[in-house]
Order: sequence, then structure tokens, then C-alpha cells
Amino acid sequence: MKLDVYGDTLCALVSAAALASTGNDVVLHVPDMPLLQALSAGECPFREPDLPELLLEQQQEGRLVFVSVDQPPADDVSVVFISLAPSALPLANDIVRRFATLPSRSWLLVNQSTFAVGTTDSFTAVFQQSLPEKSDARFVSVSLPDVLQEGAALQNFTRPAHFVLGCNNAAAEKLVKEVLRPFNRRRDGILTMLPSEAEFTKLAINGMLATRLSFMNEMANLADVFGVDIEKVRQGLGADGRIGDAYLYPGCGFGGLSFSRDLMSLVDTLASSGVASGLLHQVLAINEHQKEVLFRKLWQHYDRRLENKTVTIWGAAFKPNTHRIENAPALRLIDALLAQGASLRIHDPQAMPTLAHRYMGHPNIEYFNDEYDAAKGADALMLVTEWKCYWQPDFIKLKSIMKTPLLLDGRNIYGPEYVREHGFEYYGVGRG
Amino acid sequence: MDLSTTALAEAEKQHKWEAMSATDNTLKLTEHANKLLTVHLSELFEKDAARFEKFSRRVGPLLIDFSKQRVDETALQLLSDAADAADLGGWIKQLFAGDKINSTEGRAAMHWLLRSPSTEDAKSVELKGVHQQLQKMETLVAKIHAGQWRGFAGDTITDIVNIGVGGSDLGPLMCCRALEDTAPESAKGLNIHYVSTMDGSQVSHLLRQLAPQTTLFIISSKSFSTVDTLYNANTARAWLERAFGDDPALIRCHFLGVSSKADAMLEWGIPEENQLALWDWVGGRFSVWSAIGLPVALKIGMDNFRQMLEGAHRLDQHFESAPWTENIPVLMALIGVWNTNYLHIGAQAILPYDGRLKYLPSYLSQLEMESNGKSVRRDGEPVEGQTCPVVWGDVGPNAQHAFYQLLHQGTQAVTCDFIAPASRYQEAVHGEAAVELVYQHELALANCLAQSRLLALGEAALPAGEQLPGYKRYRGNQPSSTLLLDTLTPFSLGMLMAAYEHKVFTQAVIWGINPFDQWGVEMGKKIATETLAHIRGEATGSVSDSSTNGLVALIRSGLNEQQ
Repeated sequence: MKLDVYGDTLCALVSAAALASTGNDVVLHVPDMPLLQALSAGECPFREPDLPELLLEQQQEGRLVFVSVDQPPADDVSVVFISLAPSALPLANDIVRRFATLPSRSWLLVNQSTFAVGTTDSFTAVFQQSLPEKSDARFVSVSLPDVLQEGAALQNFTRPAHFVLGCNNAAAEKLVKEVLRPFNRRRDGILTMLPSEAEFTKLAINGMLATRLSFMNEMANLADVFGVDIEKVRQGLGADGRIGDAYLYPGCGFGGLSFSRDLMSLVDTLASSGVASGLLHQVLAINEHQKEVLFRKLWQHYDRRLENKTVTIWGAAFKPNTHRIENAPALRLIDALLAQGASLRIHDPQAMPTLAHRYMGHPNIEYFNDEYDAAKGADALMLVTEWKCYWQPDFIKLKSIMKTPLLLDGRNIYGPEYVREHGFEYYGVGRG
Repeated sequence: MDLSTTALAEAEKQHKWEAMSATDNTLKLTEHANKLLTVHLSELFEKDAARFEKFSRRVGPLLIDFSKQRVDETALQLLSDAADAADLGGWIKQLFAGDKINSTEGRAAMHWLLRSPSTEDAKSVELKGVHQQLQKMETLVAKIHAGQWRGFAGDTITDIVNIGVGGSDLGPLMCCRALEDTAPESAKGLNIHYVSTMDGSQVSHLLRQLAPQTTLFIISSKSFSTVDTLYNANTARAWLERAFGDDPALIRCHFLGVSSKADAMLEWGIPEENQLALWDWVGGRFSVWSAIGLPVALKIGMDNFRQMLEGAHRLDQHFESAPWTENIPVLMALIGVWNTNYLHIGAQAILPYDGRLKYLPSYLSQLEMESNGKSVRRDGEPVEGQTCPVVWGDVGPNAQHAFYQLLHQGTQAVTCDFIAPASRYQEAVHGEAAVELVYQHELALANCLAQSRLLALGEAALPAGEQLPGYKRYRGNQPSSTLLLDTLTPFSLGMLMAAYEHKVFTQAVIWGINPFDQWGVEMGKKIATETLAHIRGEATGSVSDSSTNGLVALIRSGLNEQQ
């Protein structure tokens, strides 16, 4: 099949690469010029596992082509994916209007972007308004919400547990299912509903996950007060079949571009539609507060004076296996520590260039390529993002190079007793 | 300048050549007043179609219309002579030279210096100190606005409680409310509260709602010995200690101090880094321009706070340089003297037609009545006539449903200051609601103008030929000034406040009194200490008068029953 994909999001790249890999001819229309140039040069700015390799491979095979957003789809293309950033709705509408002026055909638009609920349906009206008289073109839009998780995005697309498809047209449903067939083999995992229901499902999923995390963080803070270990409680909780064990890890808050953004968009949607969002508002507030949990522990540990203290941060990306720092807890921590006059030594396998760009030459931040160099002379070590390389450090070496052996574990990845046996003072999140 | 005011200024020059003793002048004023006392304001307007042009002045965004005062050109000229006779020019020079014109306390009165711009070669130690403290304020405000001032447990501060009374309360409270529409984005998450009363009603109410983790207290007391403030501060400290235990870091994280007494702050536990200074050459009721204004800066941001200082400075320059009959604060003062001493009006109402100026009447009550509520002259002799009238007021539209009845049909003569911004609701914060709100403001302005008109003209303001029964009649002839600001901004509010400050000073010069002390409020505090001992049963004997004895006995029996 010949497919066009519009977008510059991770979802756009993953969809284009995956669809090309199953034999389709895919043209990816990239609105962002620097990104288009990078992709054309065989580079992939998203450090997703296997994605750069697959993009390059499909480009070399000739099944994947990168073009500008202005280039119209070829005459034999009628299935188009749109996967733009939430702020790019005007561009999406432009693209739809342009389709109306092209030679008549039956368009199928698959919207993967997270726009407001109801947007997918609204594209039909946009198309009809721009349609020249006497045209016999037809247009159907469906919603296929982006539920990819950064760090495992390609796998999420090619081997999903299910797809949520918002569609109210039988022919369109058949066609989308055909496009998705290679990824939907084990069993039929496509859940069909109305487009606006699919859009809403996407927001609700994020709201639910965030609620679980904030709930657990609140439990962790209580565990600190009662002096019990939240890790035990978490396992007991997750073992209950009604609850399950996903998204129950307490820690120093969640971040990420889309997760936080979608949640805020859900809160805004509720607010502007006159429904008070008491719960989700609190979920976000708890999360923002939780991002500073390590700061508060350090602040109390050093008797509310952090001037001239040296703090090492391990991990700044909003989660492992990404270079992205949007809404990352590390940012809140860095800002808080700098404001109190502390000096920072930071290590992150991928996020340091992004971080350095954000804090442009701040005199109190140093970046290190080696995590032990970063810990030299430190008054405290904060583990913020649980990259695999941090899970089992050489504690003997660490203790010998740090000024004060103080470890603040924002992801509860260390065994408190083991760490304390090595002469460290240890603070986790909700570990008594 | 139009012809009439030029003529006035010319006549003033001429007049100065005539050697005239104060007594002569007083006699002439009395004579002239007796003539005007029989003339109704409606006649003055009838006779002269250009009263507004003659009797209104404008400086920057501030316009004063005093054409509805019962004055004419002769009265103004005689009053201006009275200012000369009292050597107002000399006194203004002394004020701005930093002379110790607060004679009973041996201090200068340099509130004007608090709003002087910094010059690179600032020679004055005081001015350097002023700008150092402004800089310190700016750093504090930036840290709190950034959410980086941390409580004991490490939380961001969301609530500020200003503990202070008198000048440490009324000024900040008034300005915060007046300028809240100008609050920058960075101040949106911050709530500012005020605690002043010694009885604990405000503090107990607030502490029930606030979280100790996120609350920062400002203890504002020039002397740092005001019991009202210290009792409230101790209650706040005990509240924090119940939450966190007694720890020296507690005060460092949750208290700022503003005072001229660094030692007293330190002794209470406030470290140097948390202290902001003021000086004994600033009176409490003139101190909102200093670090006492910290809550204002926290509410409206430091840029806006500096705008407020600039507005006041602009008016200082005007006061220092303009001839009396062009000088807004001097004119306000002369009209006040005319009303008090020659028309025998003993009450002045402050009537803002803008809810944001809700606390302006109490602020001005303090400024005027604490400054000029005096009956002994600088030379120790009793004053001859009346000094400061009773000053009170309320938001005009609300007062219309409360005490305007007395203004219109009562037996008291009252002079009024109507205060309003010409335009309102232009700020982005009002969004789509601006349309409806502008309608409401227009309604308020219409009421403002209608009330002052009816008060002045009485029945002459009504359609002719209507015969009304006695109880429906409007006597009129109640004089008023209207102070119109282009818009209510930090700059224009600064000007307005400085205008009243200098009005008060000018009146004190003419009355020969010291406006900068307040001995009348001292003795009550002392007697209260004795009385407290009696109420607590720690003193023996009786408290002298039978009324107090009876009341103390009743209170004590109530206390005993509770125990």
C-alpha cells in the first residue's frame, strides 16, 4: 500500500518506520525543517531503542522517503496518517484543506495526534468546506490514539497488546484493520469505538496512570511518617488481583513531554467544560510536590542550609533511555538546589546536552561523562533517573570519593540495608 | 495655564509685597468667610460658569477638582497668604533638608527620601541605606516569587502573613488591595494575609486555615516593641513549634523582620539575613515606601513597587516647587484649613468610588488624625482654633446605603473627598468579563458625580418647579473635592498618597503643630499594662475609679467561673 504520514513526533517516526518495514511505500511529511534535514541525512534525533536503525534501513531499502509538509501526496495515495504535536492543530487543518483541492478520491485520514476530544470528527467539516463544487471526493477520518511509551515506542507499535480505534464507518474500519494487520496477528486486539471515545480513552488512560502514581507517592510519604518500607506495601498492594502491580512505583515524580502535557490538557478540558477536576488537579499537584522530595530530604538533613554544598545528580532525563527532560523531576531539583546556593555535578547517559542547553553556562553546574567523576567530593548523591548503569554501583569506590557518604534514592532501586552496610546514610522514597 | 490662573499667580506675587501680620490675615479670612457663609454653592456655580477651569488642577495622572468647595479667588489668595505667613516655604525647605522637624522626638521626617531615586554619586548615607534595603527587598521578593523560599520542611512558601499594626498594617493592606490587578504572573500563587488586632481574632482565624509548612510571617514593627504585634508573633511562633518542635532553623525559615531595631529582632530570633531595616526618621504612618511595604512588593512585584515610589517622588518634586495656588497638596491643605477654621466644618468623609480603594479611608484616617489630632503648638502654647477634623469614610457606593443620609439631610456640615479612576478594567486579567465590568465602573462614576453634585447644589440640582415636602428636601451646600486619577496604577496611587502626606504636613505648618509625633497614643498602653495585672489578679488593691473597678471585678468573676 502507499501511505503518507504527516508529523514530527516520535509517533510519526515510529509509525512511518514500522509501516515501511512491513512492505508499504511510506512518505513522511516533516513540518520541522532541521528534523527533515537530519532524517534525510540518515540521522534520528529520537534515541529510541532500534528506531534509528529501522529508519535508516527502510530509507536505504527505498520504502521510506522524507519530504516537506508542503509536498502533496501522490495521486495514488489515499490513506494518510497525521501525528502532529498538540499545538499543531492549525497545521492539521491546513493539511486537510489541501487534500480537498487535490484530484478527487476517497480519503482516509488516520489521526494519531492528541488534540482536543472531538477534533477527529471536526476534520470532515474542514474538508467539506474547502471542497470545490462538483467534486466527488469523499473523506473519512478515524482516531488511532498514540499510546506509545517513550523508551519502548517501536515495540509498543509493532507488538501492541491492543489498539484503540475510533471509527464510525465500516469501510474505513476495514481499511485501517488491513493496514494494521501485521501488528495485530496474535489475536484481534483492535478495540473499535467512536472517534471521540477513542480520543477520550487516551486522555483517561493517562489520567488513571498518573492517579496511581500520585496515590503511591502519597502512600510513600505516609510510610516515611510511620517508619515502614513502602516497597513491602507496594508488593502487597500489587499482589491484589483487583489492583495489579503496574504503575505502583513510588518515586520522585513523573515527567515527560506527552504524559504531563496530556494530563494538563485533560485538566484544562474539564475546567473549561465546567466540570471541576478536583481529583486530577490534586494528582498533578501531588506530582509537582513529589518532584522535590529529594530536595526536602536533603534540606532537612543539612539543617536547612545548602550554601556551598556539592550535590551529585545521577540521571536527569525524565525516564531512562531518552534524552528528553521535559517536566523531568531533575529540573525542579536543580532549580531548588541552585536557588539555595548549592553546586551541582551531573551525570546522565543521554540528557546532558539538552540539560546544558537549558542551563546555558550556569557557573554552579558541572557535567561529567563518568558517573564516578561526578560523585567526587560530593556532600550528597541523588539518584533521580533509574538508568540501568546506576543500579549496582561500586559502593566502596563511591564512599571513598564522596566527601560525605549520603545517598538519596529517588527511585527506590537500592537495598537500604546493603547501602547502609557500606557506610552510607540512605534516604529512599517512603522507606521509613 | 489659562488666563485666570495666570492672573492668580500674578496677584499672589503682588500680595507678597504687602507686609501683613498673621492676625491681619486671619481677620480678613474670617471676614471673607462670613460673606461666603451666606452664599450657597449653587449661587457660586450660577454666577461663574468657569468654576471648573478656575478651581481644578492637574499633575500627571492626578486631577483635583475643588470647584465644589465653598471658595472663591479671594479666599484662595488669602489662604495662600496664610501659608506664607506660616512660612510654609521655609518649612518645606527644612523638610527636604532633613532637619529635625519632629521636635518632640528630636528626629527628622524623611519619608520623601524613601522614594528618591538612587544617584550614582549619592552622598547621603541615608539614601544609600534606602537603596540597599530596596535591593535586599528585591532579592527576597524574587526568591519568594520563584518559589524558592523554603519552609522548615523544604516546601515552597504559598502564604505570607504580615504581622503589624498601625502604619505597619494600614499602608501595606491598603496598597495591596488597591493594586491587586497589577500583580505579575510570578505572584499569582502567593496569598497575602494581615494580622493586626491584639485580641488574636485574626491570627486564630488564619492559623486554622494555613499550613505551617508553607507559611512565612513578616513581623513589621518599627520599634519591635509593639505588644499587639509581639503577642501575635509569639502565637505564630508557638503554632510553628507545635508542628515542628523547637528548632533555631524554624525562625530562619518562617520569619522575616522589618524594624529599625536590629538588636531587638535578633534577640527575638530573627537572623540578620532575614532582617530588613528602617530608620527612626520615618514615622509609621509614612513608612509604606520602605521595607514596611514588603507585602505590597510581594503582591504587585518589585517593578510595580518602584513605580509607586516614582509616583510619590513625582509629587514630592511638585510639592517642593509649585506655587501655592498651583500646588495640589498645598491647595488640599488650604481648603482643609478653610473648611475647618473658617466654615467650621468638623468632619471630612473619604469616599472612593472604586472598591479597590476600600482601605484608603482607614489609611487616611490614621494619616490625618494621628498627625494633626493635636491641640498644642510647637511653641508649647495651646492652639487657638480647631485642628484636624474627624476623618472617616467608606467605599462610596456602599456608603450611599449607609451614612449618606446624614450628608444629605442631617444637621452636620461635612466636607467630602470623592476619589475615582476615570477608566478601569483595562488590565488583561479581566479578560472577557471586562465588557460587563466597564459598565459597572461607568455606573459607579455616574453615582460619584451625581452625589457630589446633589451634595453641593441641593435642590438646585433637581428639575425646576418641583415643590417637595420637607422630609424630601435637599439642603445642599456640602462642599467636596473630586480627585480623579486617569487610571489606578502604582504610579498614580503613589502620587495620591504623597499628596495627602504633604497636605497633612502643610496643615500642620499653618496650625503650628508637629504632625510627626503621636504622644496621645502612649499613655493608654502604659495604663493597660497596669490594668492587665489587675485582670490577671497579679496586682493588689483597686484600679482607682469605680467604673474600671466594677468592670475588672465582673471580668474576674467570669474568669474564675471558667476555671
